[in-house]
Amino acid sequence: MNEKEGGRGPLKTLNRSLWMVLAVCLSGVAAAFGQVPDAPPVDFPYAGNRTGVWVVAQLHILFAAFILGAPIFAVVAEWLGYKNNDPKYDRLAKEVIKVTVILYSMTALTGGLFIFVLLGTYPDFSTWLIKHFFLVFAVIYPLLFILETIVLYAYFYSWDSMKGARKGRHIALGILLNIVGTVTLFVIDGPTSFMNTPAKAAGDLSLVEFIQTASLWDKIANFSWMPLNLHRLVGNVTFGGFIAGLIAAYMYMGSKTDEERSYYDWMGFVGNMIGVGALLLLPFMGYLLAYELCDYDASICPYMMADQLSMFFEMQGAMVGLIFLASNYYIWLSLKRIQGVEQVRISGFVAVVVLLMPAIMGYTWKLFPPPEWQSLIVLGILVVLPVLLGKVPGLRNFTVSAFTMIKIGFLMIVVADAIWMTPHGFVATQGLATEENELPSWASELALMPAKNAAAFTLVFLTVVNYILYNRAIKRGTIMWGKIDFASQFVLIFLAFSAIWTMGLMGAVRSLTRKYYHVYNLVPDFTSEAYTPTLAYSSWVITGVTIVFYAIVSFAILVTLKAGSPKPVASPASPVPAEAK
Amino acid sequence: MANQSFAKSVMKKTALGIIVGVLVVVGAQLTHFPFVFQFMFFLYAMLGALVFILLDAPAMKRLEGFKAVGFLVVFYLLLSGLYIAGASILPQFDPEDEKGKIDKVLKLRRAQTELGKADELIARAKELDERAQAISKQLSSLGAGAQMEMPEQPSATGVGAATGDVIAQGKEQWELQECYNCHKLYGQGGKKRGPEMDNIGNLMTPEQLKEKIIDPKSWKAEGFDKDFKKGKMPDKYKDLMFPQEIDALVAFLATLKDPSVDTPKPIKMN
Repeated sequence: MNEKEGGRGPLKTLNRSLWMVLAVCLSGVAAAFGQVPDAPPVDFPYAGNRTGVWVVAQLHILFAAFILGAPIFAVVAEWLGYKNNDPKYDRLAKEVIKVTVILYSMTALTGGLFIFVLLGTYPDFSTWLIKHFFLVFAVIYPLLFILETIVLYAYFYSWDSMKGARKGRHIALGILLNIVGTVTLFVIDGPTSFMNTPAKAAGDLSLVEFIQTASLWDKIANFSWMPLNLHRLVGNVTFGGFIAGLIAAYMYMGSKTDEERSYYDWMGFVGNMIGVGALLLLPFMGYLLAYELCDYDASICPYMMADQLSMFFEMQGAMVGLIFLASNYYIWLSLKRIQGVEQVRISGFVAVVVLLMPAIMGYTWKLFPPPEWQSLIVLGILVVLPVLLGKVPGLRNFTVSAFTMIKIGFLMIVVADAIWMTPHGFVATQGLATEENELPSWASELALMPAKNAAAFTLVFLTVVNYILYNRAIKRGTIMWGKIDFASQFVLIFLAFSAIWTMGLMGAVRSLTRKYYHVYNLVPDFTSEAYTPTLAYSSWVITGVTIVFYAIVSFAILVTLKAGSPKPVASPASPVPAEAK
Repeated sequence: MANQSFAKSVMKKTALGIIVGVLVVVGAQLTHFPFVFQFMFFLYAMLGALVFILLDAPAMKRLEGFKAVGFLVVFYLLLSGLYIAGASILPQFDPEDEKGKIDKVLKLRRAQTELGKADELIARAKELDERAQAISKQLSSLGAGAQMEMPEQPSATGVGAATGDVIAQGKEQWELQECYNCHKLYGQGGKKRGPEMDNIGNLMTPEQLKEKIIDPKSWKAEGFDKDFKKGKMPDKYKDLMFPQEIDALVAFLATLKDPSVDTPKPIKMN
């Protein structure tokens, strides 16, 4: 061996040895890394993982519903103020947006918390869902959220500068805000509705095979997507209206001057009117959503209406009944502050129709269940007939006073509530039904959809009649704004609280229709919490979330509006505060 | 004066509410409504009385400051209590019933997952540990001259092992898959979404029954055109049920041969 060869040899050996040592080290590190176990899913303290996710999700949805619903309300109010040259509407819109801006950060906070809690408690499922909707969660939704933030702050902070001739542009900015908000809602409803009704299998493919190859649009545009969109959109407007009523109630209670009281009395009325107006459509939107869920899988229907969730719907019936009672009671109190309301009368045939409506429509819908069109003819006749008969000479004098009509209306609200709430059996599941707790066979119609639809329509019709009476009263009389019965403010607060509670209840129902699946029929939930909780337990969770939400919103309202309201300035020469004059 | 007249109005309306309530209850009794509905109707009558009392109630005095805040807090507590109490009073089902059922429905699927395999390993390790402890106990008692008894061989507890009569398993599948929600059997269940099944074993072969379960569009029951057209029978069973579960259900259905029940004729569809 020559020197060169002798020189290279040891170097080569050293080189190879070093590489081998490095390889051993690396593989050792890799082995050590590979041996680090995954952290197990988090165990949420006290209440468990399912309740932890429930609470955070519900809070997020409540805040999100407000920041989507309130701008719709605000832009409509701003436009009315612009059209009628009435500054009250503009002030109303601005105050609602002011509260919205504060609560926007809570929406984002609870949204982030929601994701972290989901990932920690259900890591496998969360990852699965994120992967299937990656474009939505990682790109589309964040972009929409950023856009909405920019537009919301631009809309709010340009309020004072975009006045007069530029008001139209400001309203256009508000419309843009609502478009972005609605698109955001529709986008996030995609994964939400997918969990309830993932696309059905196509042809010979199984559901699993179909989902693996389905496009993002296939997954988003599932059976319950659009019904959920419509239900939530209308629900958000209802919610926004009732929260505006809540704001008005707080501010009315804290008002020091007649002018303030007068304004907030008016605001409460407008908020309630918008809330109730949207509320009239809500039962039918909910019916559409339930119909699509049942159409997707027939076994969902008995689960909802006859078995584990049947008493949840009984509670929903009670809540809807109470909300309609309260909103009509508010109209009654509103009427009482109108001078000259005693002169307002309405055709007596309206009272007759109202008394007969549940029976007639119940029978009609039994013969012609929706969507058969014949029932609409009967409905149309019932609605139009009193108006036509009221114009016939000789029958024109058959009238009743506004107060009598409303009292008849209240009687029928109680009757409609009773029909709405009558179940087939007072049992948690139909399997336990016996003669001791079931409707007698001759009365079984009371528990069926035609009777429920008739009851719902009676409630809606009565509310419309009451608003017609109110409009007649304000045209003929004089409203004494600020003079409404103080109890009306508790009615507004009751309406907001009950609407929020009902949202929580119905949100729980929608989630529970997935039964023991994260994604219905597709991704099972193997945890020990994959069962239907009792209604009693659910009511505790819903009430707790409602109270927390109320506390935060109340704080936001008081900090934003009460702290921001201008205090009367005492003249330096006078020792007596100005408002005492 | 106003308070006195309101108090009189309250008493009058309450009395009227009670009278109406009693009349409604008597009517409900005569028409065979169970007690729980009679009680419900009485409560509605009282609700009506309360509504009419509120309609004529005098205006509430304005509250301010801490009094208003106190009233509000009490109001929120009352509402919360009312809704929780209302929900709690309604009939509650026992989640334990459902948990047992969910375990059975998801048993085979769970076994196929990593979680299920891990659970099986843990169960196996526990079983081996118990056997080892039993053996060591036996060994330690050998000194007293006790005869050594071998611990019982564990039964084949693998998930795929047969656990009993196939027909009984099929009947269990009928309950677990909630077929009773749409199909009446033995006079129970069903909402007329699907045909009564009591005589299906005489009308369809096991192969045909299996075909119907896997592909609901393959067969239609006579007189159920509307439900068939709407696709009422879910097509999810081929995805949700394992082959042995479908076979067990088919075996059970094939035993249903009661000609006294008018099970409609099945019609083969293309």
